Amino acid sequence: MVQGKDLDPAAIEVTLTVRLIAMPQSHAVISCLHANLAALEAVLADIDQQGIATITCLGDLVGYGPQPNEVVDLVRQRAIPTCQGCWDEDIIEGLNACDCSYPSQLAERRGHLAHQWTAEQLSEESKAFLASLPMSLRRDRLLFVHGSPNSQHEYLLPDMDAFAALERVESAGAETLFCGHTHRPYVRELREGSIRVRQMSGEPAGVAEAEDRELRLPLRRIINAGSVGEPRHGNTNPTYVIHDEDIGAVEIRELPYEVERTCSAIVDAGLPPIFAWRLRHGFEYAERADDASHVCER
Amino acid sequence: MARWALISGLRGDLEAYEAIQADLRHTRRVDTLFVLGDVIGPERECDALRLSQGEAAVDALLQAVDPGHMGWLAALQFGFIELDCALLHGSSAAVDDSLGPNSSPLLLLDRLTRMDVNRLFTARSGRQFRLELTGGGIDSQVRDLESQRHQQQSVPQRQVIGIGAGVRYTLYDPGSDRLDFLSAGSKPQQRPRGFA
Ligand SMILES: [Zn+2]
Ligand SMILES: [Zn+2]
Repeated sequence: MVQGKDLDPAAIEVTLTVRLIAMPQSHAVISCLHANLAALEAVLADIDQQGIATITCLGDLVGYGPQPNEVVDLVRQRAIPTCQGCWDEDIIEGLNACDCSYPSQLAERRGHLAHQWTAEQLSEESKAFLASLPMSLRRDRLLFVHGSPNSQHEYLLPDMDAFAALERVESAGAETLFCGHTHRPYVRELREGSIRVRQMSGEPAGVAEAEDRELRLPLRRIINAGSVGEPRHGNTNPTYVIHDEDIGAVEIRELPYEVERTCSAIVDAGLPPIFAWRLRHGFEYAERADDASHVCER
Repeated sequence: MARWALISGLRGDLEAYEAIQADLRHTRRVDTLFVLGDVIGPERECDALRLSQGEAAVDALLQAVDPGHMGWLAALQFGFIELDCALLHGSSAAVDDSLGPNSSPLLLLDRLTRMDVNRLFTARSGRQFRLELTGGGIDSQVRDLESQRHQQQSVPQRQVIGIGAGVRYTLYDPGSDRLDFLSAGSKPQQRPRGFA
């Protein structure tokens, strides 16, 4: 703590100026819009209100929700850099996802219904846009993906094995990994890691000698943006994150929107009413991953 | 408990296979032979094996493996799980994942975690090695909308073992965890390399 007598007014001014200049370094990350226009509009308004100009989207623009073309159009209008989500991939490639794309069998059956409806509704232009999306986006040491760097379908759950989580970030050459797909926002910091190994070689022929070494692991972060259009963290509010690159601070934002507007649109569109039910509750037990340690091997 | 013989990379080399078989017949107490890939694949020497010895030789090779395991291999694609061991050609990430003594320990730990096994036997690199995770840990802090959780995780005592290729093969005793790196046909010159 700096004592009052040490303070130089000029220094205070410099600090404040630096802080103000640093503000634009904040950027917003959104994910899993799932054809929910009202939720997307609310989130974009919240971001605009804070004067944040840089937005990155982690995919899943469509699926479950009733306005797939409208959501694609809005993302394109706003020129938001976007990577491809599991739904975006499946809509353009057909349902070739592995078994673990859905967290349960019930979720899978409902997912297939939503898939069929969405594929019928999407314009050729929207499909072409989804097909053009990259698997990942990179800005310096920040990496943006939908599921994990391995696959749009792999879940990086908040409590997955810490070394496996760090491996995903490290192998991708990133310091901070932004992901979505779980529909539950979180910030995970992995620090002070080390692994000691003893190596014994069977070659060349001769007496085996053991060699010990230690790997010190770097500090890495995983930031999950949650979901704009299909929240499953326990209430109906869309979530997204604001990251300040300079100080590394992350704010998980949660805000209300006109959920009934989307629920009526779901029913009017003839989509399974369960999707409206889920939006109104923000959670569904059937959507819980059956096996949190499961790793997609696709 | 009887031991396992782990071989790979024969690529249709019948002489190497016969040398290993002779080795196993005469000296070693082995109850299961695991073939971790590259035995009869599309390699060119495979045809040589077929031509010189006929389909019977290929069948004999296949019969050395428990039919149940063969079915499992075909279904799993990745390999066998026996006790707490994964027996794979590459790794749990991919069949062509080449793990060697210089692979990053973080990568090795990840491959072990993916299969949730204590021993991962791999053949892809063709090297014979044993890498034992002996210690370490990591701090994890998770914050979500409800709470902040802090967790300390230790490195589990697990191992990745390279079994070699061709005449260089490995014996493993799952009861005692003893490992022998061998080279078929060169017994008089070379003592087995054992690690308990
Ligand atoms: Zn999603
Ligand atoms: Zn997804």
